[in-house]
Amino acid sequence: MSVNSVPPAATSTVAAGGARPPLPRRRWKRQHVVGMLFVLPAALYVLTFQFVPVIYGLVLSFTDYTPLRRGGPDFVGLENYAGLLTDPEYGNALLVTGRYVLTVLPITVAIALILALLVNRPFRGVGIFRSALYLPHIVSLTSVSLVWLWMYSQNGLVNEVLNLFGATDQLWLLDPESALNAASAMRIWKALGSNMVLLLAGLQSIPNELYEAGRVDGAGRWALFRYITLPGLRPMLVYVVVMDIIYLSQGFAEIFILTRGGPLGSTTTVNYLIYTEAFQYNDFGSASAMAFVLFALIIGFSVLSVRSLVGRQK
Amino acid sequence: MKVFTRSASARAAVGLAAASAIVLSGCAAAAEPEAAQEGFEGQTLTVWFPGTNQVEIDLVTGPLKDKFEAETGATLDVTFVDWGDLSTKLNAGFAAGTAPDVFGHGPAAVADFAINGRLEPLDDYIAGLEQDDIDDLSAALPGGTVGGVQYLMPLSMQGNLIVYDAADFEEAGLDPDAPPTTWEEVREAAEALTVRDASGTITRSGLLLPSQPIGRQQSFAALLASAGGSQLTSDDLESAFASPEGEKALEFYTSLFSGDDAVSYPLGADYINAPAAQQPLVLDTASMTMQTPNGANQIIAAAPELDLRIMDAVPFEGVDEGYTLGGSGPGLILNADSEVKDLGWAFIEYMISPEISAEYVQGIGGVPTRASAADTDYVQNSPVLQAFVANSSNFLPNPNVPGWVQVRDALDKYLEQALNGVTSAADALAAASPEIDSILESAR
Repeated sequence: MSVNSVPPAATSTVAAGGARPPLPRRRWKRQHVVGMLFVLPAALYVLTFQFVPVIYGLVLSFTDYTPLRRGGPDFVGLENYAGLLTDPEYGNALLVTGRYVLTVLPITVAIALILALLVNRPFRGVGIFRSALYLPHIVSLTSVSLVWLWMYSQNGLVNEVLNLFGATDQLWLLDPESALNAASAMRIWKALGSNMVLLLAGLQSIPNELYEAGRVDGAGRWALFRYITLPGLRPMLVYVVVMDIIYLSQGFAEIFILTRGGPLGSTTTVNYLIYTEAFQYNDFGSASAMAFVLFALIIGFSVLSVRSLVGRQK
Repeated sequence: MKVFTRSASARAAVGLAAASAIVLSGCAAAAEPEAAQEGFEGQTLTVWFPGTNQVEIDLVTGPLKDKFEAETGATLDVTFVDWGDLSTKLNAGFAAGTAPDVFGHGPAAVADFAINGRLEPLDDYIAGLEQDDIDDLSAALPGGTVGGVQYLMPLSMQGNLIVYDAADFEEAGLDPDAPPTTWEEVREAAEALTVRDASGTITRSGLLLPSQPIGRQQSFAALLASAGGSQLTSDDLESAFASPEGEKALEFYTSLFSGDDAVSYPLGADYINAPAAQQPLVLDTASMTMQTPNGANQIIAAAPELDLRIMDAVPFEGVDEGYTLGGSGPGLILNADSEVKDLGWAFIEYMISPEISAEYVQGIGGVPTRASAADTDYVQNSPVLQAFVANSSNFLPNPNVPGWVQVRDALDKYLEQALNGVTSAADALAAASPEIDSILESAR
């Protein structure tokens, strides 16, 4: 679009509103330039530090590259992607990541919804209650993971509590059967606060008149929830589910600290494998290919989630 | 005072020049540091040290830095980098051309840097050392070589030995003054020392060997060497652990943790990196544990009331010598792209000089690299260090080959499967062998 021309949308908006006359061309141009200057720093940041690295990562995924080697990356075509098809560790990491997402996502969304419904009612201390539930979200995942590492240790809080009830010590993070579940429990606790706040905002955006009308029509609590709350909450629910899929699929810090991908690879998520491939083995080409396959899967599942939730609404 | 020259003749020339200058000027020029006369004035040397040990940071960035700068007239820019970030930052530095002139790293990382031409060979520099110096450092030097070329100059030695609680030995009817001399005897002692609760769960392990990631490979390597086997062939081209010795070592290792007569618990727990006060020996949840010299010293400091002793490296029956993982510890490496290589070597030479080396290892509580240091008060006053120095010939390093980190992790994966009973020792080693051969081949 030329900066010298008046955008049709702007003209029609002003004309339709009829509140003020169109801006003189010179003033419009100056506003346009000022606006662009305001946006420029952020645009440059996004372009330089987000867009360019992503594109460079995509390029690297078609190369054999180690930063230690002199000279640039060697183009290898689809070799890295083909290698992933037969890599059992990558297959295992995808399964672990999928299991991790499917364990954490429904539980955290369900509990967050219950908590949001709970704190949506006025009662004494509701502010403190909301803050307490949100607290885990503002603490760094690394710090939280370190605390939970201690809680899960043999002499940690979890076993001490179990001992009070006569149960024996469990090796939460050392047993392949329980390690991923233990990490998932921590992640559920961590994700609850932000999900709850988002869903609470969604609940408060539902017009109260709808509930009043429903009650007048004789709807019970379940009917109000089923036919007013859930449909009204759907846009926010879609957002929460999609964002959770994106974040959980990239689980790394908690795995790095709690289990380092073990035992027996039972907690090796794709992101942890990417870290190992890139920063332990210096194979940036293969690591980039892993990252872009994960990227594609995240997009795919996110779109699927949006379509299934929004589609139902239609 | 240490003189930073590459050869005795150069040193003589510098000395002659210095003497001439004193005579000609008739002033007190002799009071100036000798190395400052070699043209390092105004140069800056960037050095990265690994780790976050505050004692080491204070020592290196304080008195050691000041002394070096006074002697050379150069500026020393020292940065300590957390071990976990070191490789990442070095990789980025090399890719961007901003890597430090000198950096510290462990021997396991050297080969990958060397094969990519990132490191300056130190052989010519070392040839300039006096023969007495080379002889004094002879135990440490091999750990810093790749393909026979010296790339890393170790600053301390590493080792692992079993530390045992003498009181537990006496309680179990064992003689703490006559500790086991073979792994089979260690196992027997461990069975006598193991304590279980009513449910049969071990509450005090008779013996704990590291079984966490990386620790598994290190424990296996020690057992394998003590059984007479080796991880790689002598030319470092292929794996050699899938052998009768390897099976014996791995079966022994797995038997510690599995079965009704297990003597170790829990599998996979990282006791090595736990704080001293949380160590199994201190908590009385183990009677014998494998420890590093630093670890042993810290445990003794945390629990001075315990009568802790150190066992010599033991072999399996029928094998002459026992080995544990060790040898050269982290050391200094010279960047091949450095524009101040001579100053870089001057710093390395400074750090390995008898006086500074002693000050450094004493500061970090490490084992000295110089044989002559065995006679110092630092070693003589420490039973722990004496034991580790006495066993220094029984410390075996991991192979310095390209792709070693990946080899180690691949082997670790199969060892974990065997330890967890997913597969047998023989099958685990047989499955690991071709994968590791493939990694070694592609890394060359």
